[in-house]
Amino acid sequence: MTRIVVVTSGKGGVGKTTTSASFASGLAMRGFKTAVIDFDVGLRNLDLIMGCERRVVYDLVNVISGEATLNQALIKDKHCENLFVLPASQTRDKDALTEEGVEKVLKDLEHMGFEYVICDSPAGIERGAVMALTFADEAIIVTNPEVSSVRDSDRILGILQAKSKRAQAGGEPVKEHLLVTRYSPKRVEDGEMLSYKDAQEILRVPIIGVIPESESVLHASNQGTPAIHIEQSEVAEAYKDVIARFLGEDAPLRFVSYEKPGLFKRLFGG
Amino acid sequence: MTQDTDIALIEFKGTTLPVLAITLRSLEPKELASAGNTLFGEGAFFDDDLAVLDLSQIITWPEHVEWPLIIQLLTSHGLKVLGITRVNSSLTESAAAAGLPSLALSAGRSAKPAAAPKKPVVADSALDKIPASLRKTTPPITESAATEPDEAEPDEAMLDSPGSLVIDRPLRSGQQVYARGGDLVILAAVNPGAEVIADGNIHVYAPLRGRALAGARGNAQARILTTVFAAELVSIAGIYRTFEDSVPAKLANQPVQVRLAQEPVVSLSTGQKSRLEIDILRVD
Repeated sequence: MTRIVVVTSGKGGVGKTTTSASFASGLAMRGFKTAVIDFDVGLRNLDLIMGCERRVVYDLVNVISGEATLNQALIKDKHCENLFVLPASQTRDKDALTEEGVEKVLKDLEHMGFEYVICDSPAGIERGAVMALTFADEAIIVTNPEVSSVRDSDRILGILQAKSKRAQAGGEPVKEHLLVTRYSPKRVEDGEMLSYKDAQEILRVPIIGVIPESESVLHASNQGTPAIHIEQSEVAEAYKDVIARFLGEDAPLRFVSYEKPGLFKRLFGG
Repeated sequence: MTQDTDIALIEFKGTTLPVLAITLRSLEPKELASAGNTLFGEGAFFDDDLAVLDLSQIITWPEHVEWPLIIQLLTSHGLKVLGITRVNSSLTESAAAAGLPSLALSAGRSAKPAAAPKKPVVADSALDKIPASLRKTTPPITESAATEPDEAEPDEAMLDSPGSLVIDRPLRSGQQVYARGGDLVILAAVNPGAEVIADGNIHVYAPLRGRALAGARGNAQARILTTVFAAELVSIAGIYRTFEDSVPAKLANQPVQVRLAQEPVVSLSTGQKSRLEIDILRVD
């Protein structure tokens, strides 16, 4: 049985694509056959972050409109054996995404034996975002610790509860997870940012992880390497914790408290 | 390669077509023919455009109408006549027999000047966003019920439908719930941008951070009760108060009761003045 996981947020620039790339990679590293689909038709970013932009020949819209087969369009990831990327189209209109077309692609992925399909949602609440969440079994809501991002996440949660197939069928609802990204414990301590507890208080969704703000994310994006592959970095560790929690393992939250630099660190630099 | 076996051969979609509404003030074929010739000359002026005949302004209704002649006349000018509209006459039967059904046009914007003057949040097809599980028990809200309580018949709905509603999941920005004709009980947070409406009382046993409108159809006895008060707006029977900056410090995040106080202040127009009373809720 394939589990379909949508990574969404409402607001742009909060780390959806970074999360999609690292989350999909993390599942593949655990041995699950995983596909990650870019629903941002017209812009596309995922292939850049996955470092496969030069290997894109066919895309999601080609597959939906029958111009290419799924096998032709799926790009094998260069880091993980079990990971495949289905890129978005840069040249097409987002109306090319039809519900029937998306459903067929997801069904075909299931027949191909994929265990997880990660849907990278575009920002906003337009067609692409709705299509990305329509067939979801689980949702990762990516939020930055600031008011407008939390508000937009609240909105997208409402849409998830109204527009997803699971909600419309009236059965078991989409399982929701809150992921707080770009988190800076120091700025929370200084009162410049909401704490992850504040965000959770408003959204009332179980928290699956807190990803610290880090320059290594930018470096990783520029290199076309998902952040989870940057060895020894806090971000990679935090994403690995997210995978562990997603798979039902017990992992305490890390990188959420600010420790004042000690005398030693201040003398010799950090 | 999988084969496409489940392509739907018939598919339904809503659509709107451009249709001309042609107002006729006479149904006398000869008069119409000469008027048509002055307007359009001989031959087809239109390009197979669709049209309906608006008969609301007929000056004198004839006993008998030569519908086929009228259709022929309009067809000769290049119009495809679909039917007639805005007609309250015994002639609808003869028109239908001649292939002109009576069509109901939407009344158009101008006919409802006062509808929905101030509900930007609701206008965004808010009902779509209410989960299907809620929608079953949530009748669609009409704009007027929320904004302009109907003073004339406040209690009718309470008699014919005990519409109380219990919601036990968080209400999110953009979502709206309306307990028509009853109380609304909410056991989870009402977030900023969400709107909860009831004809009766509203109880929120969690933070109320959105908008709450009780007594939406004019019940001045309705109350709003919450365990954590942080609302954007509260309203009872159309008397509302907004909290643009934030709620007063002594009320913020406290258990609060909102009701309508009838003050003995004599006002010239109504003889009575209403005011919202927002107090810390004390339970003895």
